[in-house]
Amino acid sequence: MFTDFLIALTMLTNFTLVATSRVNKAIQLAVFQGILLGLIPIAMGLGKHLHILLVAAAAIAVKGWLIPFLLRRAVTQAHIYREVDPYVGYTVSLLLCAAGTGLSLMLAHSLPLKPGSTPTFLVPAALATLFTGFLLLVSRRKALTQVVGYLVLENGIYLFGLLLVEDMPVLVETGILLDLFVGVFVMGIVINHIHVAFDSTDTSYLAELKD
Amino acid sequence: MRDITLILLAAGCWIVAALLPLVPPRKEGRISTVLGATGSLLAIFAAAHALLGGTPTHVDFYFWQGPVRLELDALSAAFLLPLHLVAGLGIVYGLEYWPVHLAKGSGRSLRFFFGCLVAAMSLLFVTRNGLLFLVAWECMAISAFFLVSTEHLYPEVHRAGWVYLVCTHTGTLVLTASVILLAQRLGGFPWVPLPGGPVGTLDVWILGLSLLGFSFKAGLLPLHFWLPAAHAGAPSHVSAILSGVMLKTGIYGILRVSTLLPGPPGWMGGGLLLLGALSAVYGVWNALAQRDYKRLLAYSSVEHLGIVAMGVGLGWVGRASGDPLLTALGFGGAIFHIWNHAIFKTLLFFGSGALLHATGTRNMEALGGLAARMPRTALLMFPAVLAVTALPPFNGFLSEWFLYRGLFASLRGGDSWSAGVALLALVFTGGLAAVAFARFYGVIFLGEARSAAVDHAHDPSLLMLVPMGILAVLALALGLLALPLLAVLDRIVAVLAPGSATPLASLVGRDLRLLLPLEVGLLALGGALLAWLPRRATQVETLPTWDCGYAAPTARMQYTGSSLADGWSVLLPGITQRVRSIRALFPRAHSFHSVVRDAVGDDLVTPWFGRLTARLLRYHRLQQGILSIYILYVLVALMVAFLWLLLRSKLPG
Repeated sequence: MFTDFLIALTMLTNFTLVATSRVNKAIQLAVFQGILLGLIPIAMGLGKHLHILLVAAAAIAVKGWLIPFLLRRAVTQAHIYREVDPYVGYTVSLLLCAAGTGLSLMLAHSLPLKPGSTPTFLVPAALATLFTGFLLLVSRRKALTQVVGYLVLENGIYLFGLLLVEDMPVLVETGILLDLFVGVFVMGIVINHIHVAFDSTDTSYLAELKD
Repeated sequence: MRDITLILLAAGCWIVAALLPLVPPRKEGRISTVLGATGSLLAIFAAAHALLGGTPTHVDFYFWQGPVRLELDALSAAFLLPLHLVAGLGIVYGLEYWPVHLAKGSGRSLRFFFGCLVAAMSLLFVTRNGLLFLVAWECMAISAFFLVSTEHLYPEVHRAGWVYLVCTHTGTLVLTASVILLAQRLGGFPWVPLPGGPVGTLDVWILGLSLLGFSFKAGLLPLHFWLPAAHAGAPSHVSAILSGVMLKTGIYGILRVSTLLPGPPGWMGGGLLLLGALSAVYGVWNALAQRDYKRLLAYSSVEHLGIVAMGVGLGWVGRASGDPLLTALGFGGAIFHIWNHAIFKTLLFFGSGALLHATGTRNMEALGGLAARMPRTALLMFPAVLAVTALPPFNGFLSEWFLYRGLFASLRGGDSWSAGVALLALVFTGGLAAVAFARFYGVIFLGEARSAAVDHAHDPSLLMLVPMGILAVLALALGLLALPLLAVLDRIVAVLAPGSATPLASLVGRDLRLLLPLEVGLLALGGALLAWLPRRATQVETLPTWDCGYAAPTARMQYTGSSLADGWSVLLPGITQRVRSIRALFPRAHSFHSVVRDAVGDDLVTPWFGRLTARLLRYHRLQQGILSIYILYVLVALMVAFLWLLLRSKLPG
């Protein structure tokens, strides 16, 4: 019951994410979503496995403290506080996100699942979060908001991982976390370089680099 | 010590010789030369021992969890022998021709990849495992790419290197498919010959694919187009090893694969016979029209590989029809011609390297009269020119004799029109080759100098002349002392067609016993005449070579290479000439212009790739350079894959 509540909150966070224009708020929401996801395995009653507990703690630590720390530093360095003039407007984004969530709910039932697993909201929520992450990555112009989109995308993958969490070796989960950390780290460096080179973090300037 | 161990030791020597120029105390490469030459001597000793009656030796080990066997049998030895002869002489020759301390380190990289190439080819010839064969094949191909593009700062060399790389990789792709199919047929990657039996469809597919893949390397007709530019652009001792040995790895591959399967069907042998005939005629015809003498030699390699392919085809025909005579003559002729070609083509490339070293140009129309300025080079090139045109008493004559005998025997056996066509082609090839090389030798060495390029030409030092001398002696020796070789060739043919060939000694032994004394007699007569003639002319007068009664003759009045070839090359599909006829009594200045292009490479393949590029440019707008668009592509691809998976489960069936 509590699990479903957390999942519903996650999906609602998706909607708020695509509708927000302030960078700081987007980061806060991504952090909130990350912490929610860290709580889900404990709510699912998997707390008795020590390794899952450890991974959940690590997820909360990385997503709730390390990554926002890096992102906030980037924000203060680059002086970007608002996503102005995205490729896709906020209203359209919201509609697209709604459509994606609806599609996920519909499709989730026809997905072949592991035999014996009970159908939950986990699958549609994972799909919807993945879709939201992609939407943010595609529709936003600023590198920082794209990093947030990347975080959300990883959250979706993490949700999928929860389906298999009992069989999944720790290695894979920590792999996801490490991947995420390295991704954000590298993008942080890239943001800094774009900022230095073009005096802006608008990724559309990168089009000048193509041959 | 076992023979195969010696071969591995030789490969090890070459790898060390390759690495030595890279490590800090960078000397002139003497040590690495000595090491390479030692390795070659060891390998030659082992291969000769295996050919002269040693039993096949092998080592077994595991590679990628698969059993691997390295085995030295007569067929492997037959290819290792020319490889290490050319490589050992080549590294000595390269010491002066391409010193290690040449501009921008190209000397060192050349040394490195030369060693890698030799080691990879040594491994290639002894491995009996499909996977390891492909690995060695790739090492060889990549080393050859770096060798070809040694002078990559010249745009034409750069292009030749890339064209070669694309061709060799396309070939490898086909070969990979064929190796996988072969593994299915043999039940694993180890190459163990199947017992004889009926030829299945799979066998024909495997053989066909191998033929396609290997003929990229061997330069058989439609797939030869990478070859002239690559061989012309590489340093000369590299051209020698590429032309003299690496092309034959294609022939080795075809032969090796065919020994693993039950004999190829007769129509395949006939097809290879015709393909070889076509390549031979096409190659020599193009050689006739070239102005660049290294390109001429490269086209001549296409011709000779065609002749070798004819021999292999004849052997296959014999094996399929159970005719022991054709089998022995075909395979024996092919292997003998491989040795001979390795010797005289290497000599020719070494000689052309000496010319390039002395004059700095590859255009034969700029040379002329070099026999006076480079007498030693001219003398050493003469046997090679005679051998390449298959004239007695040199070695090229004998191997073509084998083929003529085989083709005539095939004609007498009836029903083989392919043998008739091949016979005519071989005759035609021989004639055109004589013209092409008379032109080559005549234009370069005889007559008067055509440009200032030859002014300071001089013979190279002994480091370059001695390897050429050894090859010239070998070309004559193989021509005169071929009788003991027959037993050796029999041993190789026995590997190619187990237990179904009659000994060559009984087939051509009588011919050789008749021919060889005749040749020795003629040679002795010629020598006696030569010794006697100068005594008659007591005083030597120096005159212009040719003045035709003109008051003021110039060197430009000589026959040029183009005018010598004119009668034959006008029919060539790739040639375009523009000449205005001279009509008036006092004609104004006129110009003559002629371009030789390859009918396949320049007229078919290049335009086709041009059209393909133009067509693909349409998709260039997919690449916008905007990160979001790329992520959108990922999203769309994901969605499509997802929906397709869902719909597929819903669809009936």
